[in-house]
Amino acid sequence: MTEGTGVPPPLCDLPDRLLAVRAADGDEDSFAVLVRRHSRPLLALASCMLGSVQDAEDAVQDAFVSAWRRLPEYHHRAEFRTWMYRITVNRCLTLRSRRPPPLPLDAVPEPAAGDAWSAPELTAEQAAAAAALARALGELEAGQRACWVLCEVRGLPYKEIAEMTHTNEQTVRGRLYRARRSLQEAMTPWR
Amino acid sequence: MALDDSHARPPGPPGAEGPGERERPLTDDEVLACGRSLSQVWEEAQETPPTADPHTLSCSRCGEALAALAALRAAARTLRAVDPPRLRALADRVMKTVRSEARFGRLLPLADPDQNLRITESAAAKALRQAADTIPGARAGACRLAPAGQGPGVGVTMTLVAALDLPLPERADRVRHSVLSAAGRALGMAVTTVDITVVDVLTPSPPPPLAQPRPSSEG
Repeated sequence: MTEGTGVPPPLCDLPDRLLAVRAADGDEDSFAVLVRRHSRPLLALASCMLGSVQDAEDAVQDAFVSAWRRLPEYHHRAEFRTWMYRITVNRCLTLRSRRPPPLPLDAVPEPAAGDAWSAPELTAEQAAAAAALARALGELEAGQRACWVLCEVRGLPYKEIAEMTHTNEQTVRGRLYRARRSLQEAMTPWR
Repeated sequence: MALDDSHARPPGPPGAEGPGERERPLTDDEVLACGRSLSQVWEEAQETPPTADPHTLSCSRCGEALAALAALRAAARTLRAVDPPRLRALADRVMKTVRSEARFGRLLPLADPDQNLRITESAAAKALRQAADTIPGARAGACRLAPAGQGPGVGVTMTLVAALDLPLPERADRVRHSVLSAAGRALGMAVTTVDITVVDVLTPSPPPPLAQPRPSSEG
């Protein structure tokens, strides 16, 4: 190292695109930065999609490992984030479709949501509302659930949601509307 | 794909937006008692900044619809919590699998007299990328190495993201020099050529922050 500062800047300062190129070359450290950077939002996404932390962790883990294997063929046409969300959403949809149908609601005393998104600072009322929302989310059609979670929990724009869910913005808008309508009906007692 | 159909619709004249005004109305849309469609009222709240037309501000039906949306969003915020220790454990599990499936690339000769020392392409590339990164205003992207002929010589191909405060040939030369030096001193590799392609402009700003949830419409 004859020039410059002598010490390379930390990898965590690099943008996704560059880290993904390096990871595609086989650089695990660059991939580790991408994992740290994206695991939190992906886990929140998967938790909402699947309603269970354990399943969500499995889905996100599978998605990252799958991304690592597919990186050499990934041509960086989409943003890494978009690509990664797409893999995770697909993984969640596959996991859900493989599971047995859920128990009828009255057979479940309290939803597992308290585990999935427990936040100890929540008041009892907020926790109950969150549980009701989780239950209502579980009832939604999978495509609607994915669009709603990406929009309202992750705050992503329609265009990106359309890319992540292999559809167009008009469909995203329609699914979002239907999801909101079902969810707000389910949430009416909590208002 | 209806990608040109942006959700940021141009604001029409107030009062001109009836329920049938949208180009492709939802077949199951609900028409509020005031004549507005529910999807339209919610869409407006989605826009940043939210469209605040006189009707929506004064209409109690629209107000109710927006309050329902706001309550839903408030509940949605509770779904964002993720447990940090579990996150770290997850990242560790992922990286354990990734490292067990490492992609080493080809084996390349080092310039030892007996010519029987080898290094993996990925290990050499890591060192050479680091050498490139030490040049201010330059960051290495892809780095590929290949034997150059029969001897111990190795050719390097590297893509670069570079700032524009210096002529690119000059910066590329500095990178090349740093790469050649590191290859010789740190690796003991006889690099014969360093082909550099500048593929993007390095902007001085930090990487974009993670997506923040949209500000909600209430408050």
